[in-house]
Amino acid sequence: MNTSEYLRSFKTATWLGWQIESNWTRPFLFAIYSIIKPLAGAAILVVMYSVITQGNFNTPIFPYLYYGNAFYQYVGAILTGVSWAVIDDREHYKTLKYMYIAPINIPAYWLGRGVARFLTGSISVTITIAFGVLFLHVPLDLARVNWPLFVAALAIGISMLAMMGLILASITLLIAHHFFLIGEAVAGALFLLSGAIFPLDVLPAWLRPVGFAMPITYWLELMRRSMIGNVAQAFPTLAGYSNLQLLGILVGLTILFAVASTFVFRFCDYHAREQSLIDRVTNY
Amino acid sequence: MTNQMNPLAVMSTDKAAGWKLFWKTVLARAYPRVVGQQREKSWIFFDIFLPMLAVSAYVFVYRAIHAPEEYIGFVVVGGAMTAFWMNIMWSMSMQLYWEKEQGNLALYIMAPNSMMAILLGMALGGMLATFLRAIAIILLGSLLFHVQYAIGNFLQLVGVFFAAMTALYGLGMITASLFLLFSREADHLVQLAQEPVYLVSGFYFPIRSFNFWIAAAASLIPLTLGLDAMRQLVFPSGALLGFLNVNTELVILLILCVVFLFGAHSLLGYMERLAIREGRLTESRR
Amino acid sequence: MPKGQVILSNSAVETESLGRIYKIQGTTREKNVRKELMALQDVDLQVKQGELFGLLGPNGAGKTTLIKILTTLLAPTSGRARVSGFDVAREPGKIRPLINMVSGGESSGYGLLTVRENLWMFSQFYGLPSRQAYERIDALLKMVGLEDRIHTKSSDLSTGLRQKMNIVRGFMTDPQVLFLDEPTLGLDVGASRDVRRLIRNWLDQDKTRTLLLTTHYMAEADELCDRVAIINHGRVLACDAPSALKQSLQREALFEITVASLNGLNASVLERQPGVRKATRTDAKGVTALNFSLQEEAALAGVINRLTEANVRIMRLDKHEPTLEDVFVNLVGRSMDEIEKEETNDEPDEPAGRDVD
Repeated sequence: MNTSEYLRSFKTATWLGWQIESNWTRPFLFAIYSIIKPLAGAAILVVMYSVITQGNFNTPIFPYLYYGNAFYQYVGAILTGVSWAVIDDREHYKTLKYMYIAPINIPAYWLGRGVARFLTGSISVTITIAFGVLFLHVPLDLARVNWPLFVAALAIGISMLAMMGLILASITLLIAHHFFLIGEAVAGALFLLSGAIFPLDVLPAWLRPVGFAMPITYWLELMRRSMIGNVAQAFPTLAGYSNLQLLGILVGLTILFAVASTFVFRFCDYHAREQSLIDRVTNY
Repeated sequence: MTNQMNPLAVMSTDKAAGWKLFWKTVLARAYPRVVGQQREKSWIFFDIFLPMLAVSAYVFVYRAIHAPEEYIGFVVVGGAMTAFWMNIMWSMSMQLYWEKEQGNLALYIMAPNSMMAILLGMALGGMLATFLRAIAIILLGSLLFHVQYAIGNFLQLVGVFFAAMTALYGLGMITASLFLLFSREADHLVQLAQEPVYLVSGFYFPIRSFNFWIAAAASLIPLTLGLDAMRQLVFPSGALLGFLNVNTELVILLILCVVFLFGAHSLLGYMERLAIREGRLTESRR
Repeated sequence: MPKGQVILSNSAVETESLGRIYKIQGTTREKNVRKELMALQDVDLQVKQGELFGLLGPNGAGKTTLIKILTTLLAPTSGRARVSGFDVAREPGKIRPLINMVSGGESSGYGLLTVRENLWMFSQFYGLPSRQAYERIDALLKMVGLEDRIHTKSSDLSTGLRQKMNIVRGFMTDPQVLFLDEPTLGLDVGASRDVRRLIRNWLDQDKTRTLLLTTHYMAEADELCDRVAIINHGRVLACDAPSALKQSLQREALFEITVASLNGLNASVLERQPGVRKATRTDAKGVTALNFSLQEEAALAGVINRLTEANVRIMRLDKHEPTLEDVFVNLVGRSMDEIEKEETNDEPDEPAGRDVD
C-alpha cells in the first residue's frame, strides 16, 4: 500500500466531505437540525418506555437503551457517510469517474468522505447524552467514567464502522440509486441485532448467534461499561467477558471486517468497471 | 413522404389537454419508477427486508420492558405505515430536488402538464415498493410476533386508510412544492422530517400518551389520525387507547384531504412562480 | 397550426427592453455580501414566424438566460417578452403547449430507461397519443442515426448519442417555437451536419414554425440562420442577416498576417499605423496570427514595413472576406476566444453553480 497516496486521498476527501456537509445551510438551521434529529430519535424510545413503565426511569434497562441508542447514532452516520459518497459522486456531482482515473486510493477517499458525518454524528451523540443526563436522570458521573476504555473502544469502534461502511460503499457501486439512504437502511436493520436498545437475550434463541457475530454488539457494551459500568453489569448477556476480552473480540472482528472490506471492494470494483457502472446515472 | 412516415410534418391529431393530459402525465411519470424497480431489484433487500428488521427492533424493546402484547401490534402496524411516509418524503418531495439537479425539473415545468400530475405519478410509481414493504411488515410481523387482530368494520378501515393516504399525499405535494425553492437543504430537511414525525404521529405508541394539545397539533399530519383510527379498528383494545373516536378522526381526515389537496394546488403554483422569479428552477447549488 | 391557437402578432418571439438581474450571495469568506449580476440588459428583439434566428455570443453573454426567460423558466426583472403572442411572465401556461427546448450537454431523462422509453415519457407530458408518439420517435431516431440504439439504456449512451436523443425530444412534440441552446455540443462533424439538415427540413415543412438557436460557433450561425443577434455582456450589439452584418465590414479591407514571432512588438503599436482600424493578435501552435481591419488596402504596405523594421519574419499573408467572427471582433474589440480566455483567468463574477449564460 502506498502510504502517501493513501494519506493524500484521505486528507483531501476529508476536506471535501467537510465542504459538502458544512455549507448546506445557515448555522442557525444547522443547529436546529443537529438538536432535533437526534433528540427525536431518542424521544421515540423514551416515550415508548415511559408509556409502559409509567415514567419509571430508575430501572437499569432505561440507561441501557438510552446509551445504546445514543452511541448507535454513529452507526448510521458512518455507514451513510462512507457509502453515500458513491451515490453522491456518481449521480449528483458526476465526479466518480474522475476520482477513479486520478492517482488516489479509492477506499481511502471514501473513508475520508465519511469523516464529516462522523463529526456531525459526534455532535448528535453528545447532545443526546447531555439531554438524557440533564432532563431524564440518565446516570453519568464524569469522575467515574473509564476514560481509557472509552477512548480505546470509541477509536476501535469507529474503525470497525468505517470498515463496514467500506463494504457497503463497495456494494453501492453495483446497485442503482434508489430513493432511500442505504447506510440508514442497514443501520436500521442492525439495530435489531446489536443489543443497542435491548439485551440480546430478548431475541429468539435462533437469532442470538447473529447478534453475537456483530462487532457492534461488543462495541456498544464497551461504551456502556466505560460510561456507566455498574449499570451495564446488570445484564448477563456479556457479563462473563472482561473489558479486555471484549476489546480483544472487537479488535478481532474489526480486523476481520477490514480484510472482508478489501475483498469486497476488489470484487465490486472489478465488476463495476467491467459492466461500465462507474459513470452511470440511475436515479428514477 | 406521407404524414404518417414524415416525423417533421405537422401533427394531424390534436394533443391531449385537461384531465386527459393529467392522467397521461401521471402514467408517464410513474413508468420510470415501475420499470426502474423491475430492472434493478436491489431495493427488495434494502427497502423491504432491512426495514422489517428495523421495525422488529422496536418490537423487542417492548418485549424487553414487558409491554402488553397489543403494543407489539402497534409497532407492526406503525412500522408498516412508515413505508408511506418514506414514500412521500423521499420518492416524492426529495425526488423533486434530484430532478432539479438532473435537469428534468426544467423540462417538466416547461411542458404543458401539471406539477401535481408529475408528483402523483412519482408517488404511484413508487407504490409497488411501498405496498410491498407495508404488506411484508404486516404479514411477517404478524406471523413472527403472533399479533392478534379483531377487525370490527372493514369498510370503515378501508375508508380511513384511503382518506389518510389521500390527505398524506396532498401533504406530500405541499412539501414537494417547498422543495422547488430548496437546494441542498432539501436532503437534510427530509432526514429531519423522519424521526420527529415518527415521534409525534405515534407510529410506535398511541398518541393518547401525549397531552391533548400535542396530539391535536400532531393530527395535522394525516398519518397520526389515520394510524390512531386504524389501531382502534383492528386491535381489541384499540378503542381504549384511541385519541378521538373513529368517526371524528375520519371526518377530520376528509377535511385534511380537501385542505391539503387544495393547498397543494395553490402552493405548487405559487412556489413555481416564486422559483421562476428568483431563478431557482434551474440553479445547480450542490 | 394547431386548432384553437391564436397568433396575436406576426412575431413568434418579441422582447421589449428585457432585463434580468441575478442577486448572488457571496462565498463564506464574503459572508452576507450580496452582489448583483446583470445577465441581460435592454434586449429588444423580434423574431418573425418561420425564421431561424441565431443568438451568437461568448460564454456568459446571456444567451441561455434569454432562452430561459422565453421558455418560461425564468422571469425577467424588467421589460417584457412574448412568445407566440403570449406574455412569458403572465401567461406561461398558454406558451408551454407551443414550445420545446433542447440544451447542449443536457442529461435529462432516466438512465435505467431506454432511449425509446425516455422519449415516450416526455411525449406524454405534451399529450401526444402514444401510437403517434412512437411513430414519430422511431422515425426521428432514424433521421439522426440512432435507430440501432432504440432499446439501449440512456445511461449507456455516449455524450454525442445522448445529445441526439435530446434533439429528438425537442422535435417530436411538434412545437410552434423550438429553442435550441447549443444543440451541437458534443456532436461530431457528421452528426452536427445531420442536425443542421434536420433543422432546415423541419422549418421548410411548415412556414409557421420558428426556431431560436444559440451558439458560439460562428460558422454554424452563418450557415443556418436567417438572422443573427450578436450578444455580449447581456446586450444585443447587432441584429441582422449574416450577409448584411458581413457586408457592413466590407468597406474595410481584412488581412491576416502569420508571423513566427513578433520580437517584442505590440499589437497596439501596429494599430497606431496610419490606415489601420483594428489589429488583434492570436497566438497558436508556435506562430502568431495578426488580424487587421484596414481603411484601405494601401495601408497594408505601412504595416508590412513596420513588421520588417522589427525584424519580424512574415510567414503568410491572407486577404479575408469578412466573417461573423470579424463582425464580432469589430463590435466587441476582441475575438470570442480572447473574451473566453480572459473570463477564465479573471476572478469569477459569481459562485459556480449559478447559471448565467
